[in-house]
Amino acid sequence: MNERLQRFSTAGLLADRKVTQLMGFTTFTLIFFTVFSFNIFFTPENFRSMAYQVPEIAILSIAVMLSMLTGGIDLSIVGISNAAALVAAYIMTQKMTEGGDISTMWIIAACLAGILIGLICGAINSVLIAILNVTPILATLATMTLFNGIAIGITNGVSVSDLPKQFMRVGNGTFLGIPTPFVLMVVIAIFVGYLINRTSLGLKVLLIGTNRKAAQYSVMGDRKVIAWTYIISGLLSSLAGLIIASRTSAASPDFGNSYILLAIVVVVLGGINPMGGFGTVTGVVLATIVLQMVSSGFNALRFSQFFYLLAQGGVLVLVMILNTVLEKRRLNRSINKSLDS
Amino acid sequence: MNFRKLLRRNETVLIFAIIVFSLVIGSKSPEFFTIANLFDILRSSFVQLIFALGVLIVIISGGIDVSFPIVGIFAGYTAVVIMRKFELNEESVLVPVALAILIGIILGGLNAIAIAGFEIPTLIATLGTAGIFRGFMLSFIGASFISDIPLGLDNFSTADLIKFESEAGTLVRLHVLVIPVALITLAVSLLLNRTIFGRSVYALGGGVESTRRLGISVKRTQAKIYMLVGGLSGLAGILYVSLQRKANPYDLAGSELDVIAAVVLGGASIMGGYGTVFGTVLGVLFINMIKNNLVLLGVSSSWQRAAVGVLLIIGITIQAIGENQKQKRQRSATSKEAE
Repeated sequence: MNERLQRFSTAGLLADRKVTQLMGFTTFTLIFFTVFSFNIFFTPENFRSMAYQVPEIAILSIAVMLSMLTGGIDLSIVGISNAAALVAAYIMTQKMTEGGDISTMWIIAACLAGILIGLICGAINSVLIAILNVTPILATLATMTLFNGIAIGITNGVSVSDLPKQFMRVGNGTFLGIPTPFVLMVVIAIFVGYLINRTSLGLKVLLIGTNRKAAQYSVMGDRKVIAWTYIISGLLSSLAGLIIASRTSAASPDFGNSYILLAIVVVVLGGINPMGGFGTVTGVVLATIVLQMVSSGFNALRFSQFFYLLAQGGVLVLVMILNTVLEKRRLNRSINKSLDS
Repeated sequence: MNFRKLLRRNETVLIFAIIVFSLVIGSKSPEFFTIANLFDILRSSFVQLIFALGVLIVIISGGIDVSFPIVGIFAGYTAVVIMRKFELNEESVLVPVALAILIGIILGGLNAIAIAGFEIPTLIATLGTAGIFRGFMLSFIGASFISDIPLGLDNFSTADLIKFESEAGTLVRLHVLVIPVALITLAVSLLLNRTIFGRSVYALGGGVESTRRLGISVKRTQAKIYMLVGGLSGLAGILYVSLQRKANPYDLAGSELDVIAAVVLGGASIMGGYGTVFGTVLGVLFINMIKNNLVLLGVSSSWQRAAVGVLLIIGITIQAIGENQKQKRQRSATSKEAE
């Protein structure tokens, strides 16, 4: 299967090169901040706190990556994750007794309800994009407003806090010594990686992203494939929402508005082509870790969060510029080569 | 045939929707049909309309810009900061406005470099520059609220064209901005329909490659578009600051959706190549009418955002269905020809 992938285009090779570059970049960032802020950055506490913060962004970014592989984009991820978290939080606070006790059954039920919301929101995106043929940017921009608007309308803009202790244990606990959210992230990353590289759905996703027309002519059911991508993206967003709620013990309709830009920065830095067609989960996870290190490092160096915002935008634009320049040079070289021979 | 075509137009549908909504709201509360309410809707539409005209140009050209509110507040806030720092003429309105437009054009130029120079997809480029501009403004120019804006701007917020007391005793005011905004709207309309530049914007939205074959410089057109949008956003930003009588650098961020929603509801095709100024004006008025009067309908104002979302989804669904039917017709027409 993997061989077939590599033969069908240079995608495999290119993606691998991107991962290698990213590994170099990760090491560089690590060394940079270790040198400049050894006492605060290079401590077990800092690495532990990073391990708790990386998963939510990584999962949201993987959700964006899936839609971007088909050549689309999903801007509604944060709207979905907040809506899912709010529904779950609402059920939990309703079923909690005065002393804060709640049966595990209800927590599981609440989480399932949140996931269901994610699937429904994803399905709404699917209907708009796959069936009605609305451009993904516009469709998800609209649903982002809608999901966010409904969340604000129902809660009146107030956040739901004081979630049960058992639920908080998921987001703040450890599993075999590793923070639980990080373990969850690894499981999800492996699942999505398997989906992309080892299943026919994944291959179809890449084909649609490479050339939608060709995919249409090969009668692979391109609409169905795109519909599935947005449903899975909704599912992943809702999982991220639950993890955020469990870590912070709160759910709010305007939490993480800045995550949309961050997720897109991560995905582009992770080597995914925004036009669709190729990208790897490894790249996305590595890119998340790089950006988290930059964020923690800036904190350690006492830069403001706005400076981090500036850096995010800068990284996004620079990586895109670098990609287009390198792409052009590669294209020219291959043209020259074929002219010579 | 022509009559049916006219009925199918987005503008007709919008006018119809506006009338229906007015009747519904008006029947529930008589307050709706007052001149005061009309003037209020107009006043809240000024800034949005100028933003919307810029967005319309970008959308016609087949791109999308999400950085314009940030460009607007950046320009407005920075102009006020410069005015205060260099103690420029306090009374003047034109100086800060010119400054803001200039800053807007410069920021738009940076967008143009990313989009036309390096061919980055427009959504990703403007998302990135929005982050850069906002981060730059808040870390280097200022992150604090300025309440004593220059006198000229402050006075401008109460410069009324028509002012009288209604029978109910409330003050009814129509802001003087209605004239310049109308002139700008007219100018953009003329620019799009009567100049080579305007026609090449439409051509660009129709197809990049065919535009190139026509002998139009794609890059130069794109650069002009994004600088023009920057200038319009800067103007809208400083007017916003003036009307609010305060310069808050955290404002406007996140308002891009309402404006894009208005433009799309006004019938501009997000794929590019189609859109009218008249439709955009109607779209802006419609959205502001709904947002301002939800309370009169007995709906809490926290549902405003959801209402905009629903409107947008209805609008794009109608557009998409129309587009799908058109394609189907074209396909069947070509297959008939082939037979």
